[in-house]
Amino acid sequence: MIEIFRRIHSPLLAVLIFALFGGTGCSRPADTIRIAVAGPMTGDQSKQGNDLKNGVELAVAKWNETSGLLGKKVELLVGDDQHDPKQAVAIANKFVNSGVVGVVGHWNSSASIPASEVYHRADIPMITPASTNPRVTDRGYSNVFRVCGRDDQQGKVAAEFVAAQLKAKRVAVLHDKTTYGQGLADEFKKALGNRAEVVYYSGIIQGDKDFRGVLTTVVSKKPDVYFFGGIYPEGGLLVKQAKEVGLNVPMVSGDGVIDQVFVQIAGEAADGTYLTFSPDTTKLPAAQEVLKQYRARYGEPGPYSFYAYDAAQVLLNAVQKAGTTDGFGINQAIRTTSYDGITGRLQFDSKGDLLTTQYVVWITKNGQFEEFWKPSGR
Amino acid sequence: MLLQQIVNGLALGAVYALIALGYTMVYGVLELINFAHGEIYMIGAYLGILLLTFFTAVGLTQHHLVLSLFLVFVGAALYCAGYGLTLERVAYRPLRHANRLSPLISAIGMSIFLQNYVMLAQGSTDKVFPHLLPSEPVAVLGVPISLLQIFIILTSIFLMIGLSLFVKKTRLGKAMRATAQDKRMAGLVGIDINKVIAITFVIGSILASAAGVMVAIYYGLVNFFIGYVAGIKAFTAAVLGGIGNIPGAMAGGFILGLVESLGAGYLSSEYKDVFAFLILIVVLILRPSGLLGEKASEKV
Repeated sequence: MIEIFRRIHSPLLAVLIFALFGGTGCSRPADTIRIAVAGPMTGDQSKQGNDLKNGVELAVAKWNETSGLLGKKVELLVGDDQHDPKQAVAIANKFVNSGVVGVVGHWNSSASIPASEVYHRADIPMITPASTNPRVTDRGYSNVFRVCGRDDQQGKVAAEFVAAQLKAKRVAVLHDKTTYGQGLADEFKKALGNRAEVVYYSGIIQGDKDFRGVLTTVVSKKPDVYFFGGIYPEGGLLVKQAKEVGLNVPMVSGDGVIDQVFVQIAGEAADGTYLTFSPDTTKLPAAQEVLKQYRARYGEPGPYSFYAYDAAQVLLNAVQKAGTTDGFGINQAIRTTSYDGITGRLQFDSKGDLLTTQYVVWITKNGQFEEFWKPSGR
Repeated sequence: MLLQQIVNGLALGAVYALIALGYTMVYGVLELINFAHGEIYMIGAYLGILLLTFFTAVGLTQHHLVLSLFLVFVGAALYCAGYGLTLERVAYRPLRHANRLSPLISAIGMSIFLQNYVMLAQGSTDKVFPHLLPSEPVAVLGVPISLLQIFIILTSIFLMIGLSLFVKKTRLGKAMRATAQDKRMAGLVGIDINKVIAITFVIGSILASAAGVMVAIYYGLVNFFIGYVAGIKAFTAAVLGGIGNIPGAMAGGFILGLVESLGAGYLSSEYKDVFAFLILIVVLILRPSGLLGEKASEKV
């Protein structure tokens, strides 16, 4: 660097260049450790992003109230990916440039997968609390983990429920064409095999508000049940409009739909919808204290609040255990430790998936979600 | 099923048509694409949900459904008219004699501003409103059709008839047509151009607000970016029918709604939007000035 300055012979320019480099170098105060949370913080899925943010914030606050992390305060950066893959990559780059030691997020598989490429190049650990698409961990990246299940497990449970419990013979399948939605719909279809006939299979447009056209066609196929792979804004409108066009069969969907906003959008039409998700975390004894604190700070937790909390705990504990902010060390620590979180024991396999995950079927009843059915043999 | 799809399409198209009228009227008098028009519709939808929530809270909708609906429409119309008026005064009038590109940029700027303004004021999450009219379909000729759809179609047709009468029969309507033909000449014969243009914006905004309120009731859900897609679709409808032409915008809206609904139902719901734009391209190739568009020479 000094060589260059000499050659330039311009003190002013040298000062400017120094200010430039100095500027970026100093942007990270040495007495804090930065972690980040990313998800859809604005837009139609912002409820989920904010649930994630609240969960992580609570975990960070706990560390800061006690000893801090490696003797330093933890600083939380929040990134809004607007469930847009392009935006997710931009956020990921921003995080990497701000020197975060780890990321909790993203929420959507379609955001997690491209963002994880960026984190992978920088070797920064990423723990997603919600992205269930198999490809998130199937690429063999040593820095990618998740504290939720996989869609091949989820699709299997949904298919078993539809075939064995509902005894459906004719099934219509809709999906929102996203990595998550279409992926889940395809896993469901695959797992269903020839136990029921798929009489209709089609994508819908995410962000669209009018599905009466496609639903009217679904009615004419006379299904016993219809499956939707997607998120709650479309899910809520689908069940609501299904009733309006006279499609009076239950909808089965996945963990992307299980949120109170789904019920708000669909109203009474939401009742009788079956959703695959992990068992109720708010009932677990280990979660009670966090539940109380969460309610005091933010109100009722969302379906993924506690997973975000646990993901942050796994990350922060791993940093503490590794004794370093170096990505390689943290990844090692996450992989080799088993952590007892509020959602259960979190231990990762070689891919970064949880060793034990469980999916059950929930039902929407009087505007509330409750556990309804467990696959046999568990 | 065909009849049901047609009703679906007409309800969708009625909303497009109402918004498209605002585009086409402003283009008619100013030769300007008012890209912020979709945001006026979005504000109308927000106001619909906010007023309905308020009237439900005070117990008005439960007892006087028709009265409260009427108040919601009037309230949203007044509010949006104010926005339309301000928009014209702030973003377009100072640029009326500027380069053609300047008002266009100003329009896009206003659109971005209004979106973010509403996001900051109302939050980035979806605003949801519970059902007002019964969602159970009624059987018409053995086909389940929801009352809301009939309501939307009838209200839109009523508003469109009103607009047509206004433009054809009243003095102001005549002034508006004169301004559309030749602004300078209209000014010379004593028409207050500024007033006519302002009124054009007000009428366009009122129609958009009605569309917004109906959509708020129809889907029970609004967010700050619904104006963007609706604006693009309505603009497409206006171009399809021949921009600057009022019956053209109405026809364009209904055609677009029908194409989308039938395309989604019979061909593929994944490519619903593609059909809408495909039909636009085909029409523009065969009839460059749109279905009912006037020949460009008349304007000179």
